Amino acid sequence: MADLQTISRKNELPLKGENTSLFLQIIISIAIFIFAITLSGVLSMNSMISNWNKSILGSITVQIIPIPDSNKEKVQTQLLAYEEKAVEFLKSVNGIIKVTPLNDEQLDNLLRPWLGDDVSISDLPAPRIIDVKLAKDANIDFDQLREDLSQASPQASLDNHKIWLNKLIALTDGLNLIATTILTLVIAITSGAIFYTTQMSMGLHKDIIEILHIIGAKDTYIAQQYAKRMGFLGLIGGIFGLIFAIPAIFFIGNLANSIKGGIISEATLGINDWLYILILPLFSMSISMMTAYYTVKNTLKKML
Amino acid sequence: MANNTKNIIEMQNVGIRYDKGPEILSDINLSLPKGSFHFLTGQSGAGKTSLLSLMYLKQKPSRGQLSVFGHNINFTDRDQMAVLRRQIGVVFQDFHLIEHLSAFDNVALPLRVAGMNEYEIKKRVTELLTWVELDSHMNKKTSTLSGGEKQRIAIARAVINRPDLLLADEPTGNVDNIIAGKLMKLFVELNKLGTTVVIATHSDKIIHDFAYPRLHLQNKGLHIYYPSDTSMLRGING
Repeated sequence: MADLQTISRKNELPLKGENTSLFLQIIISIAIFIFAITLSGVLSMNSMISNWNKSILGSITVQIIPIPDSNKEKVQTQLLAYEEKAVEFLKSVNGIIKVTPLNDEQLDNLLRPWLGDDVSISDLPAPRIIDVKLAKDANIDFDQLREDLSQASPQASLDNHKIWLNKLIALTDGLNLIATTILTLVIAITSGAIFYTTQMSMGLHKDIIEILHIIGAKDTYIAQQYAKRMGFLGLIGGIFGLIFAIPAIFFIGNLANSIKGGIISEATLGINDWLYILILPLFSMSISMMTAYYTVKNTLKKML
Repeated sequence: MANNTKNIIEMQNVGIRYDKGPEILSDINLSLPKGSFHFLTGQSGAGKTSLLSLMYLKQKPSRGQLSVFGHNINFTDRDQMAVLRRQIGVVFQDFHLIEHLSAFDNVALPLRVAGMNEYEIKKRVTELLTWVELDSHMNKKTSTLSGGEKQRIAIARAVINRPDLLLADEPTGNVDNIIAGKLMKLFVELNKLGTTVVIATHSDKIIHDFAYPRLHLQNKGLHIYYPSDTSMLRGING
């Protein structure tokens, strides 16, 4: 790889005027566009999991399920009574540092994205919700807590979100695998295009390569000229791909954000994520350079 | 590494064939001492270019042993081969110039490949182009030059790095007698300075004007004629 750092001063091979340059740049642009979109998807999914994990870690939710009855007032009174018992019990548990029953307004806000503005929580047999914060070093047996809670408040149901989160992680793992496959294919297609373009070009310039060979040029000398040219095409192609990808990423992000209250709106790109996306042209440049370099080296080995 | 070697080129039972065809040269045994001057002769198709291509390491022999500057090329890696080639200047019948480059850049090529600094390159190339009377064409692309001018550029390129071995395939074929004489004088001068020279030629005049031994290819074999005893065939292959 040290050889790649020393790029020759003169280009004896007339690689600039080749017809395949535009074709290669278009291929690389498309590859980087797909790569950037897929990568942004992977990164935002990971940030979504991370955000959910952070918000869920150290908290549990308790629901007080209403008992169906035609008398709404009775249902509400029972609910509040069970909620009070549950709160009282939870406050007594070691490791629980904060117990916050959500008020009607908070419950309204939670359900509004799903039910719309016209429906009020008081019109529905909706459960009461208690947000419970745990101490950092809390060592709680959730099965035991669930059992004790149901005895203290029979309509209470405890959720530590693990099942839901694990399902979400399984989903994102699957999506990550698909994304990784896409990224691998994109790299393979780009490398393949560079490989064949380089070989085609070497065939075209066989006479010059032979002259360079005869006057004592090492394989590295010839490979560097190809690496330099293909690296440039990779960089330009990558920049164009990114120019098209960035608005597309913003567009998809805006669509995701418009789904308020949903899990997708948690999928955002941080500064580091954007850095990964913005250096993609350098990545395409490196891939192009390395592919061209080793293609030339291997092809020349077949000569004397 | 070449300077300490008695024989610049040694061939033992060398044969050349292309693909699966018959051998075009068989059982070639040859030792070219350092500082020697030889003409290479033979009818068209006798294998002169093939023999030269072995000498400038374009190809390996199909069989037998070939040593160049003391290196058995069967045991020489690619990078070492490239370094060996830098000590060999080659003048081709069809020039082998890079057409889109200027005369200057073509002549500078061996020096650039060897990694010489641009200041020294400019000095050496300008000096040599002036000597071959092409300094006024320095920045012209070689595609715009005449055959004779191209030949002089090719010769300048071959000698620019003061090679230990100079191989020329019909170097005077495209130039007039005056230039041909001047080029031969250059080869002789280089030989006096220690360069081993092999010139493939059809020109009887040159062979007779310059009394050097002749490597003659005939019937797939190599024979040597010495100028002092031209009637006697002292063929290495018998």
